[in-house]
Amino acid sequence: MKAIIVGAGEVGFHIAKRLASENKDVVVIDRNPAVLQRILEHMDVQVLEGSGCSPLVLGEAGITKADMLLAVTDSDEINLMACTFANMLAPGLTKLARIRNDEYTAYGQQLAKGIGIGIIINPEVEVVRTIEHMLRAPGAVDICDLADGRIKIVGTWITSGNPMAGTSLVDLRRKAGDMQLIVAAIVRDDKVIVPTGSDEILEGDLVYFVCEDSQLQSVFSFLGNRSGKKSSVLIIGGGNIGLRLARALEKKPIHVKLMDKDPERCAVLAGELDRTVVLVGDGTDQEALLEENIGAMDVAVTMTGNEESNILASLLAKKLGTPMAITRLNKIEYMPLVRAIGLEHIVSPRLSAVNSIFKHVRKGGVLSAVAIKDGAEALEALVGPESDLVGRALKDLTFPKGVLVLCIMRADTVLIPSGFDVIQRGDRLFILSLTESIPGVERMLSRGQEQG
Amino acid sequence: MRWTIALHVTGLILLCVGLCMFLPLACGWYYDDNSVAPLFLSLCVTVLAGAFLMFSFKRPKPLVINHREGMVIVSLGWAACAFFGALPFVLGGFPSFTDAFFESVSGFTTTGASILTNIEALPKGLLFWRSLTHWLGGMGIIVLTIAILPFLGVGGMQLYKAEVPGPVADKLQPRIKDTAMSLWKVYVFFTVAQVVLLMFGGMNLFESICHAFGTMATGGFSTRNTSIAAYDSAYIDGVITFFMLVAGVNFALHFQLFRGRPLTVWRDPEFRFFAILVLVLTAVVTFSIQSSSYSSWPEALRFGSFQVASILTTTGYATADYELWLPLPQGVLLLCMFIGGCAGSTAGGIKCMRVMLLFKHSYRELFRLVHPRAVLPLKFGPKLVKEEVLTSIWGFFVLFIVLFVLSALALAAMGVDVLTSFAAVVACIGNIGPGLGEVGPVDNYAAIPTLGKWVLSFCMLLGRLEIYTVLVLFMPEFWRK
Repeated sequence: MKAIIVGAGEVGFHIAKRLASENKDVVVIDRNPAVLQRILEHMDVQVLEGSGCSPLVLGEAGITKADMLLAVTDSDEINLMACTFANMLAPGLTKLARIRNDEYTAYGQQLAKGIGIGIIINPEVEVVRTIEHMLRAPGAVDICDLADGRIKIVGTWITSGNPMAGTSLVDLRRKAGDMQLIVAAIVRDDKVIVPTGSDEILEGDLVYFVCEDSQLQSVFSFLGNRSGKKSSVLIIGGGNIGLRLARALEKKPIHVKLMDKDPERCAVLAGELDRTVVLVGDGTDQEALLEENIGAMDVAVTMTGNEESNILASLLAKKLGTPMAITRLNKIEYMPLVRAIGLEHIVSPRLSAVNSIFKHVRKGGVLSAVAIKDGAEALEALVGPESDLVGRALKDLTFPKGVLVLCIMRADTVLIPSGFDVIQRGDRLFILSLTESIPGVERMLSRGQEQG
Repeated sequence: MRWTIALHVTGLILLCVGLCMFLPLACGWYYDDNSVAPLFLSLCVTVLAGAFLMFSFKRPKPLVINHREGMVIVSLGWAACAFFGALPFVLGGFPSFTDAFFESVSGFTTTGASILTNIEALPKGLLFWRSLTHWLGGMGIIVLTIAILPFLGVGGMQLYKAEVPGPVADKLQPRIKDTAMSLWKVYVFFTVAQVVLLMFGGMNLFESICHAFGTMATGGFSTRNTSIAAYDSAYIDGVITFFMLVAGVNFALHFQLFRGRPLTVWRDPEFRFFAILVLVLTAVVTFSIQSSSYSSWPEALRFGSFQVASILTTTGYATADYELWLPLPQGVLLLCMFIGGCAGSTAGGIKCMRVMLLFKHSYRELFRLVHPRAVLPLKFGPKLVKEEVLTSIWGFFVLFIVLFVLSALALAAMGVDVLTSFAAVVACIGNIGPGLGEVGPVDNYAAIPTLGKWVLSFCMLLGRLEIYTVLVLFMPEFWRK
């Protein structure tokens, strides 16, 4: 498969890296030679200096032979332009644009008809949704939807003193009883482990599990995580995401305050929002935070456009007594560091853009794909009527190494599979796979379907 | 700098090269000459050494090679190949290890400088190995390794950059493995084409293959004492001239040609420069040798163009003793020795691209004296040349000249006459082969003192790996933790 990526920013970088690690042919286009140089040093892809919305450059990148165009620059207009020209040069191509402005996303159908953009990604919507999840399940540091939100994949830290530390997965299953709790992966020392029954959960692990949405709360209390109602939230930074989040939260019984440095922006925000209290102030200013009695707030969410300010504001809020701080962070390299200084809840619009793009890149009926750290992915795949998998028991299938079938959703029930379960048409399979095995899984899933 | 990776990958490279010794072994076995035992023994030793390095130093997963390690691996890999490549010669009865090593380095670096006084006395298996070292070294043993081994990935790019000739290394395909593969396919295609054409001219299969190896790699080892002159055929001269020129052009352009984009080739500024250079220099040489050395125009053209192509592309085949020509054509050939072929070709020398940019840059400085306020970007075709590329080219040029002078002085200090020492050094550092004086087209390097042969071997390696890659290893800063 050949993919052309327009934009070598943080989003483009990580998509390129993941595609290249799966041995796909990748061409990255960007105007800035310095970021292209960085890409060349990290991965085996081809780079092209030039504007991604120039038809000449797209032609040079081999657009007519490509399977997919991913327009992921920071500018909506460049992304749209790139897709427009790609549509003229290679009409059949799958085109995907990262678009943030609501005024464009509202016209998704027209864009699809007009210039053939198949998929539009708005990472800000995803980020707001993730934050809402985190507020519901504060123990989770990573939480993503599968099966349209009916099933959740959740990452949670096993802190010291957690009753589950030292339990093997077999025992965990026994203790859980009726509760359907599937441990999907364990991240230990930054490495992803695909667990077997005999693996133990240890202190300091990041455990990813899969459960039904309705059982989320009981699973959390079972895992010994505190949970409580969050009734007051302070949002620092009134940019696009901050506004979107405030708008979503004020519909719930939550008391929302939104703080921004810029008085003019605050005036706009106050006009847009109803119940939210809009404040002018700097989130890294201790006085301003104390004035608003930050210690009594349940959650501080730092959403400014500046990484370092966000980290500082979150640390400050925690020091002043806020139990939970959610930090927006774009630089993916910072992520291991912030955990070390005590910030657990991180959201990254760029990373969620990467994730939501990925589910469209996957073949073989894959409906969604969630990255777990850098080493693995949880996939949701629909078994089509023509698939070779239909009618075969799980134990008869030879999956590549490092692959685990987590559960099967049939009609509306979730099954925890044993080796004797037979796959039926219309099943949704939830599979965990290490990154290197993903091409093998894709091949298995798409076998039979392509001919049919 | 992690030695485990460096030694592991060096082991892999040795393994590849060791397995290549099967070809001359088969050849020696077919002709049933006394090269079978030395080749078989060398094959075993090389493969075992490679396997030993590979298995005693495990590679980490994933295999990530940084640029420092890349340079160490490439230099180490080439030195190791030259060392083990010398084994068949040592066992095959070369006078000394120095001579065998010199011959092997000369082969792998596609220089073509030989210490043999009677080439035809060598068994066919060894002659084949001599030519095969050219062919392997021409497109690059590292590029070969990358093409064969899929897991080199990102690390492969670091190795590729350290080996590929020219100031900038571009990928032809999204993945480095495919890039290496494409280059080798083009290379193999031209080699096969040349073998077929040479056989039409009456050369036998064995000699056709050996000469095609020597031509496409711009090497210059022949199987005959008198090089190509032994055949005395205008057809063969013509075929070899053509393929030498082909090998002197950037292989990325050949690749574009095969993709059906002939215009890219013609629009390439370096190709135009190279083409014009060949035409002008051939014309000058033909005119000046016509009256003095040859009786007719076609004959002067035949020998003139052959010599110009041979020296400019740094091949070093000979059909005439140019030392008997007038001073002007000899001077032109000396100029050719410095210029060399195009970047990204198998040729050596300073390379047309660098020469062009050096001239453009110098012209720009003159222009600036007239218009001090002018904004003067440097363009290569439609593309802007980055200042850092330019600085690196000036650095290369200065190092080239400094190394040339120092090595020549070193040779002179050993008692070699001045003309010979200067010509021998430029012929080795430019990977050409024949020089002037005692090392002219009809002479050989046997008479150079032992220490001098080591200096020249080092020069050949420096020239093939474009100086920087090797020289940087001698900086204390490189090894500091």
